[in-house]
Amino acid sequence: MMRMGNTRIAFIETMAELAQQDPKVVLVCADSVLVVKGKSFAQKYPNRFIDVGIAEQNAVACASGMAACGLIPFVATYAGFITMRACEQVRTFVAYPGLNVKLIGANGGIGAGEREGVTHQFFEDLGIMRTIPGFTVVVPADTEQVKHATRAIYQIKGPAYMRIGSGRDPIVDCENVPFELGKIRILADYGRDIILFACGFVINRVLLAAETLSREGIKAAVVDVPTLKPLDHSGIVPLLSQAAAAVTVEDHNIIGGLGSAIAELSVSACPVHLCRLGVPDIFTRSGHPEPLLDYYHMGVKDIVDAAKTAIKRRDAKA
Amino acid sequence: MIKKLNSIRNMPIKALEDIARQIRIDIITMIYKAGDGHPGASLSVTDIITALYFDVMNVDPAHPEKPDRDRFILSKGHGCPALYAALAGKGYFSRDELPGLRSLESMLQGHPDMNKTPGIDSTSGSLGNGVGVGLGMVLASRITGQDYFTYVVTGDGEIQEGVVWEAAMAACRYKAGRLIVFVDNNGRQSGGLVDEISGLYPILPKWESFGWHCQEIDGHDFSQILDAVEKAQACTDRPSVILAHTIKGKGIPFMEDDNSWHKRVPTADEYREAMRILGGPYL
Repeated sequence: MMRMGNTRIAFIETMAELAQQDPKVVLVCADSVLVVKGKSFAQKYPNRFIDVGIAEQNAVACASGMAACGLIPFVATYAGFITMRACEQVRTFVAYPGLNVKLIGANGGIGAGEREGVTHQFFEDLGIMRTIPGFTVVVPADTEQVKHATRAIYQIKGPAYMRIGSGRDPIVDCENVPFELGKIRILADYGRDIILFACGFVINRVLLAAETLSREGIKAAVVDVPTLKPLDHSGIVPLLSQAAAAVTVEDHNIIGGLGSAIAELSVSACPVHLCRLGVPDIFTRSGHPEPLLDYYHMGVKDIVDAAKTAIKRRDAKA
Repeated sequence: MIKKLNSIRNMPIKALEDIARQIRIDIITMIYKAGDGHPGASLSVTDIITALYFDVMNVDPAHPEKPDRDRFILSKGHGCPALYAALAGKGYFSRDELPGLRSLESMLQGHPDMNKTPGIDSTSGSLGNGVGVGLGMVLASRITGQDYFTYVVTGDGEIQEGVVWEAAMAACRYKAGRLIVFVDNNGRQSGGLVDEISGLYPILPKWESFGWHCQEIDGHDFSQILDAVEKAQACTDRPSVILAHTIKGKGIPFMEDDNSWHKRVPTADEYREAMRILGGPYL
């Protein structure tokens, strides 16, 4: 039975720690205080909790003004409303001036958007954010990783985007593998027949797939890529080179996210046979997260099959 | 509670008029030399910027990042030749920079860039965002304990952008008395008359209904501009808007209210004529 955590609470608890240490830390919401479980933060730090109402563009504009005066605002609401509705404010008033604003996007992915349907399932956020110069883009795997990532994006100076989930987010049993911003995490290492890259709340599925593959004699490495940008080139290229075949798995559109990032790096640094799994560039349906991810071909069997396909292509060329 | 009010009216009106005339000379010269830019909107906002930088605002060109300085955001960033000329006139950077407007190596970008040009408090140019950014600066002052006003200039066409009204709502909810917004009401926008393109009018009742302290002035009359700023500063529990009636292309009769000058470069003859009118040298 999969253990579940709450990445929204993990975020806000870490925010409270940071606010305690640093009077410059501010939480900015767009009527999203309940979304990010921010009530106790707002009560404890009333002067450092700004709620502009259902107005994400203005939330980001205000955060820009605050950061220009030396504060460190964290704007937290649904992933799509920050990265799409307020995209231009993010790009022109945060990224372009390089201001120290942190964006926290809830319901990242179709699993986290689950029963709400497409309006609240956000699977374009990572692609959008990756194309904006100067942004650090982080996709933590579970609650503990969110805590590390929240501290890490606070510690860097400059704009950062972090994805969080629905509050019912699978826990990955790999906390012994440390988090470091900008670095991959090797979560399972059966061998180098194939590399399974993943990010976000699908990692347990990839771990299961690697186990299945191992039983069939295919030795895979499971690599968590929590920082999509800047991508860990020096960590990834040797893996690509060792296996010459890889699979990417992400709860995001197949365009723009992890699969694209790995493909872009691979094509210039180390071409390999690559199969990309994710939302296949369509609008999805509502549903419970686990069957939903299976339905859109992010199931354990899909990952296993993709691994075999990539290996077959590699071996056919050899 | 913050008590400070800026001491204003330190400059005779005649001196401000002379500065504004020089800024207009610089605007036309910059755009002529650059071969690009927005003369109409720069000329309509010139007197407001002159009053703010040369009389009202607590700023120090030797320390452009001073934490307690007053802030200024030209939300209608395309009017930046006026701002650049004012900043150069104040001494933030050399006047020799002005002819470089919009060129590759210049510190003077096509629209204001807070990292490339000393004295620019916020990047701008994408319309509608200055009120929200300014509100953020006011909210920041409550956390940092710094004592300053934030002045924003928007265009009238610009306030068709919805985010302006998001910010107007939030500024009222946060009782942002230190936020003072000018609407440079020149009646024209890129495609023609504001009244023909949008259902914006009447402007002031909208701000009133959003809870703002409202005034209406002639945006080319320094005495009225300074009076309005004093009243806005004295209103501490609400944000203030000053609807400043202006003329697009003000100061150069053949440009005034001719919207082809929204974005147009003077010919050599037109430039010479503008300099003759303004009393500037033909460079």
